[in-house]
Amino acid sequence: MSNRTIPRLLQTPAVLLLLFWMLVPLGMTLFFSFIRYFLNNTRRPEWTSPSIDNWRGFGNYQYVWNQDAFWLAIQNSLLIVCSILFLTVALGIAIAVLINRSFPGRGIVRVLLISPFFVMPAVNAVLWINMLLDPVLGLQGIAVANINDVILGLRDAPLVGGFFSLWPKFEPISFRATQTSAYAVIMMVTWQWTPFAVLIFMTSLQSEDQQQKEAAVLDGAGAWSQFRFLTLPHLGRPIAIVVMIQAIFHLSLYAEIEIVSRGNGNKNLPYYIGELVNNNIGAASATGIFAVILANIVAIFLLRMVGKTLME
Amino acid sequence: MGRIVLENVSKSFGDTQVIPPLSLTIEDGEFAVFVGPSGCGKSTLLRLIAGLEEVSGGSIVIDGTEVADVPPAKRGLAMVFQSYALYPHMTVRKNIAFPLRMAKMTQSDIDARVNQAASVLNLNDYLERKPGQLSGGQRQRVAIGRAIVREPSAFLFDEPLSNLDAALRVGMRMEILELHNKLETTMIYVTHDQVEAMTMANKIVVLRAGVIEQVGSPLELYRSPRNKFVASFIGSPKMNIFEGDEAKKHNAHSIGIRPEHIDVVKSNGEWQGTVGVAEHLGSDTFFHIHNTGLSEILTVRAIGDVNLRNGDTIHLNPRADDFHRFDEKGLRIT
Repeated sequence: MSNRTIPRLLQTPAVLLLLFWMLVPLGMTLFFSFIRYFLNNTRRPEWTSPSIDNWRGFGNYQYVWNQDAFWLAIQNSLLIVCSILFLTVALGIAIAVLINRSFPGRGIVRVLLISPFFVMPAVNAVLWINMLLDPVLGLQGIAVANINDVILGLRDAPLVGGFFSLWPKFEPISFRATQTSAYAVIMMVTWQWTPFAVLIFMTSLQSEDQQQKEAAVLDGAGAWSQFRFLTLPHLGRPIAIVVMIQAIFHLSLYAEIEIVSRGNGNKNLPYYIGELVNNNIGAASATGIFAVILANIVAIFLLRMVGKTLME
Repeated sequence: MGRIVLENVSKSFGDTQVIPPLSLTIEDGEFAVFVGPSGCGKSTLLRLIAGLEEVSGGSIVIDGTEVADVPPAKRGLAMVFQSYALYPHMTVRKNIAFPLRMAKMTQSDIDARVNQAASVLNLNDYLERKPGQLSGGQRQRVAIGRAIVREPSAFLFDEPLSNLDAALRVGMRMEILELHNKLETTMIYVTHDQVEAMTMANKIVVLRAGVIEQVGSPLELYRSPRNKFVASFIGSPKMNIFEGDEAKKHNAHSIGIRPEHIDVVKSNGEWQGTVGVAEHLGSDTFFHIHNTGLSEILTVRAIGDVNLRNGDTIHLNPRADDFHRFDEKGLRIT
């Protein structure tokens, strides 16, 4: 017995710390989600302290469930996460396959490709929304203004002038607007996380068996068939890993949303919780529990996917 | 059909020439084995024929067609790789069907050919498995199956048995030979194992540093090796080759004699020495003999179990007709 007791004793501090670390916040969130708890309420001052006397049952859950903003937040969360996943995986595979061939300067290109990943999320958002996407001062605004100038100049040109005078004047897009702010977030996070996908796919491509490819060449497979029947199945497992890790990260996006439009048009679940926390802790906690459930559903779904590819 | 003619074929990687211009003809239906030590260019030569490498000079003609500009898949050749190169995500059936699918054959034709190949190779029970679930020998058969279904004019084997264990290797050797007898298709087989070369080939091509040292049937190479390299490469254990007085007696710079052409006698042998290591195999005994005054170690094969141990004195009689004589350049004197 003693030779089992000692290892267990030695593990205890770590296990206790982890339990404490996870269970205390989760327990407190659960507790708060079942009581009325406001940071500031002049009408009912007794609700401003977390007490069991303010028990509300599932009232907070019901309140959140009936809010349109909550459903909009879930919708935005899923839109943003799924779009980023699709784009990063597609771009990641394309770039990884491209730079897997040897060409002069490959080492430098690889380092440059990976560098967006080292930019802090908040900095990334500031750079994109102010310097690239801004409709007046950003690269987008400058580019659209210049294109308009060129077209304007061509209208006076002989021969083709008539054709260009039919063209409209292009309007720059404001990416802080309700209709477009989610796309701004998708764009900047895709830019930042594509290198992560490239990195993982690149290492995986290097472990691809070259003799298999030669065999495929002899079997009459062209470049597309080799990619479709050999490379893509070979990348199945890394794709599952990239999808899972990114899903976990992007369900909790916050900085980009705050900076782009303060939740206008792109409010996701964490941002919604953040707004509720300003006063209504009970409702925020209930939303937090919903978020945990959503994350678990996504995780189980993704784990299945990963498990399936590992089995094959 | 599958007559393959190489004319002055050469190959360089950058500045290093791995194959100097070389000519060789492999007749239709022949089982040709390229054999040589590691790095002698035998695999490169095979890859040149397959089209996986481009020739730097000369021409390769398959069935009368110059194939320099013909892509690998259109040369009508099928290759079996050392690592089998099976597609790990596909079942055995899909692996075998892959070349047919790439050739856009109809599903019914594909099924018919796959089933036929599977029954030839005893793979019927494994068609729905993935390569990872098969043993080494079964994987090898799947790789051969994938080659057979294409009905190529020639098969190319790149050291196909070197990943198998010894017992399985002997079995697969026989299977490949039987396949050759059945299909009567040209086969080119690359190996570094001279036993495989001797047992399988109609025609052995011995290569060293990209140069063909000798081409001939197994017994031609065994009986009359063209030079010292071929003499010591073909035959197991290696031929004893030595210089000195004994060679001068035979009017040669150096002479060679195979271990099986030296008889062990009780006394008054022409040569004598002390036994070093004795390998008792039961059917044969191999002696490594020191202090003969001929060469550092002399290898001798005695039939049956000869009761001589380490340190014993041994008397030997070489068979006079079986000496091979070589000149200063190592070439055979006839």
